[in-house]
Amino acid sequence: MKLKLHQSIWAFALIFILFACDDSGSERPLGAYETGILIMNEGAFGSNDGEVYHLEPASGFLKQNIFETENNRPFAGLLEDMVIEGERLYLVANTGKVEIVNSGDFKSRGAVAGGLDQPRSLAINGNKLFISDYGPYDASYNTPDSYIAVVNGLDGGAVGKKIQVSNKPEDLYTVGKFVLVAGSEEKSLQVIDSENETLTKTLVVAGSPTQFFTIGTQLWLFAPASDKVYFHRINTSNFDLTETLEMAIPDATGKMAIGNNGRIYLLTSTGWPTYEDAVASVSIPNSQPIVKELITGSGFYGIGFDQNRGELYVANAKGFQGNGNVTVYNESGTALKTLDVGRGPSGFMMR
Amino acid sequence: MILLLWVCTIFGLLPIGQDTVSLAEVEVFAPAIDKFAQGQKVQILEKTELEIYRGRSLGDLLQERTGIFVRQYGAGMLASPSFRGTSAGHTALFWNGLPINSPSLGQSDLSILPLAGIDQAAIQFGNSGALFGNEAIGGSIHLETKSEFGKGFQTGISQQFGSFGLANTYLSTGFSSKKFSSKTRVYRESADNDFTYQDLGQIGTPEVRQQHARFEQSGIVQDLAWNLNSKNQLKTAIWWNKANREIQPVMGSNTRDQQEDQSLRAVLDYFLFGEKSIFNLKTGLVRDEQVFNQSQNNTTQYFASGDWDKDFSSNWTAKIGARFTLAKGDLSTYQADDQRLELYQSTRFSPSETISLSLNLRQLVYSGTFAPFTPSLGMEWKIWQGKSQTLDLKTSVGKGFKVPTLNDRFWNPGGNPDLLPEESISGEIGLNWAKTGKINLTQGLTYYRMQVDNWIIWLPKGNIWSPENIRTVRNQGIEYEGKASWETGNWEWKADASYTFSKAIPTKGIDENDPSVGKQLPYTPKHQANARISADHQGFSGFLGTFYVGKRSVTADNPRQMPAYQLWNLGIGYQNLKWGKLDFPLSFQINNILNSDYQVLYLRAMPGRSYQFNLSIQL
Repeated sequence: MKLKLHQSIWAFALIFILFACDDSGSERPLGAYETGILIMNEGAFGSNDGEVYHLEPASGFLKQNIFETENNRPFAGLLEDMVIEGERLYLVANTGKVEIVNSGDFKSRGAVAGGLDQPRSLAINGNKLFISDYGPYDASYNTPDSYIAVVNGLDGGAVGKKIQVSNKPEDLYTVGKFVLVAGSEEKSLQVIDSENETLTKTLVVAGSPTQFFTIGTQLWLFAPASDKVYFHRINTSNFDLTETLEMAIPDATGKMAIGNNGRIYLLTSTGWPTYEDAVASVSIPNSQPIVKELITGSGFYGIGFDQNRGELYVANAKGFQGNGNVTVYNESGTALKTLDVGRGPSGFMMR
Repeated sequence: MILLLWVCTIFGLLPIGQDTVSLAEVEVFAPAIDKFAQGQKVQILEKTELEIYRGRSLGDLLQERTGIFVRQYGAGMLASPSFRGTSAGHTALFWNGLPINSPSLGQSDLSILPLAGIDQAAIQFGNSGALFGNEAIGGSIHLETKSEFGKGFQTGISQQFGSFGLANTYLSTGFSSKKFSSKTRVYRESADNDFTYQDLGQIGTPEVRQQHARFEQSGIVQDLAWNLNSKNQLKTAIWWNKANREIQPVMGSNTRDQQEDQSLRAVLDYFLFGEKSIFNLKTGLVRDEQVFNQSQNNTTQYFASGDWDKDFSSNWTAKIGARFTLAKGDLSTYQADDQRLELYQSTRFSPSETISLSLNLRQLVYSGTFAPFTPSLGMEWKIWQGKSQTLDLKTSVGKGFKVPTLNDRFWNPGGNPDLLPEESISGEIGLNWAKTGKINLTQGLTYYRMQVDNWIIWLPKGNIWSPENIRTVRNQGIEYEGKASWETGNWEWKADASYTFSKAIPTKGIDENDPSVGKQLPYTPKHQANARISADHQGFSGFLGTFYVGKRSVTADNPRQMPAYQLWNLGIGYQNLKWGKLDFPLSFQINNILNSDYQVLYLRAMPGRSYQFNLSIQL
């Protein structure tokens, strides 16, 4: 009993101190995960053992399973994407949920638990969440009913409207009151008006769009095809394409990272049966792309770039038999170190 | 002489059905599973044991009463056996002598092999490729129906009710004369499986009710046997089973998968009983149809085999035979056939009353490829025989193999036609001590070692998964079992306990940096144990059972361990309720008495305490 009393006094004191800090405004303490690198581990199909690891790149300190550590329950999903917006971090599980945690300390804030099928990514617009979802499989494992699910409230809740979009939507991007959709299967760029939750524009583009990214003030859309890749620059006032760069990089997987000085790193894989993976580095001085194969190997499953330290992170799923690893390279492709991470490492968030 | 082989006991008058002529009870012939299995461990689960588990499943029975680990994906969901640290595909499964593992999957789902369809299960532990053929690497399971001649008319109905919407109905009727025997069974089992569990996949881990795990199956079993004359017997068995399942989602997922499995199995045996010999011709058919959501996977296997078993002298017995199998796969992504021919022989030599030796050999050829030649050698030696005590030594060495499954070879895309068969070698040694007296005691201890090479693993190649002969695994372990029976006044007591220690360690993995090398295989508990005490007293019976499953890792490199669990079950029954010619056996069971929260596999919810009530009417 005495111990408990002591504990509560401590807890009370702690709360008091925290509140005191909060009141003083800018003196807010940094959460444990506010700096460093979050490593996304997708998990293995049927096991729902997706998780997030946290790496402090300077010290090399790696903390495992931070979702479970901070919330005393497993993540219980296949982690497809992580999206950060202010104090919230959204963990999108393609097994049908979105978990929302504090971006600083990873404590659970809320979730979108029902009404989703195979969510892929998420964008925030105003007070609404927009979640891209493949929709359910049909008899022949196609997904003809893909949608963007709308949730009112930034801490999750019930799915309101489902906006029908082209098949297999991936990345989303907010511009003003609009949400852009990368439509991978039907090769489209679609635009949703977030206020009346309707589709306002569909543009067919070259390649299969997977990811939006910005370089400086320019908004780009990455769209790989089987034997080349396309980078479409988007006019953010009318959502037409300003220009399209085409490069002869075959077998791009759709996973990419933005390096320093406008350089882009792409993951490529010849797939079954020869199965050779590589990282291609692309730089575009004066619109003249220079492409070079930086790293080759097999089992590459995710890619990220730490712009502060100029280091490239390549995740290897190692056959999903157990945990995967991450190899850190310098910009010229020399391996610096390898870290053991979680199951199916698939992406990074540099903070 | 021949009759001695198949006459069991003569019970005299039938206990019920007084109007029928009293006939001698004669069991329909079935070759003994252990006749040439010298030096190997065989555990027979008799009808009384099966009846206790009838409302549950073969998976529960094996998990709780043998040293096998059963990987269960939820209540009524996929349940696959793992013997001695091997995988589900390393267990051969037979029904009335036909191998019934799916040729596309190379394994069986124990949840859709209802105990209502069989009368006996024999479990053989360890490598027995020479004796039982393909997939008998970790062990083999032999399900049998049994019928008898000369029993007159018998019928019964049994109804079970229980927690989570359990409702099972069993009907059985049979007639047999000296020449002819027919037994028909019809059953329907269903459960809503709407148990509550703590949902770890949701904020606040609330207690929720399982919404999507409904299970139902029904089927018919027909056994027929004819004594054509004193030397010729014909018997057939047909088993049709259809199961419909809502697939229980893993916690955190909201899948709504549906699975329907339909199986038709038929076997026809002809026996010619000669001078100290038995000639057997066997033909059979196994048809499996599975619909997962809308994707359909069907396979058909046709079997034809013949063997001849002869006692050449009082100490030499031999059997020689051949089997042809045609497996046809019509799956959602490919169609493929496989033809298999195997030749086998078994010899048993007993130089004295205390020693018997057996040598088994088998060669299988599939689609023109030779599977590894499999010999095995076994010995049983009664080291010591006292007035009321015996001590037996059993030992055997042998090889085993697994032909790559149709999916392994032909799945499109990813199937690898160049796969080699998996190959195993093993040895075991055991001591059995038995004592009769006021307390009858048996104790057995077995040590085994095994190595499996060319173990097939599916690995991702980009988005496509493809199988390769990658792993080498070394297994070793110890198995103990002890039994005791005694009487106090009108009370008959039985107690048993068993413990299994199993190490299964890969020595070769995907590459030299594979972290699984040197670590226990995933979902392979090192420690398992079970025990039960039961009592009978003037028609009353009761038991208290428990089983323990040790820690298991979720993945090959062992970072996450599932906690160990121990569950307790209780049953009581009364057999002597009668009204005229009718018997009304009653029983009541409580499973998971302590309402323990446990998962066999990661994030697969399992039910807590459940109750089950059985009422039967027998004529």
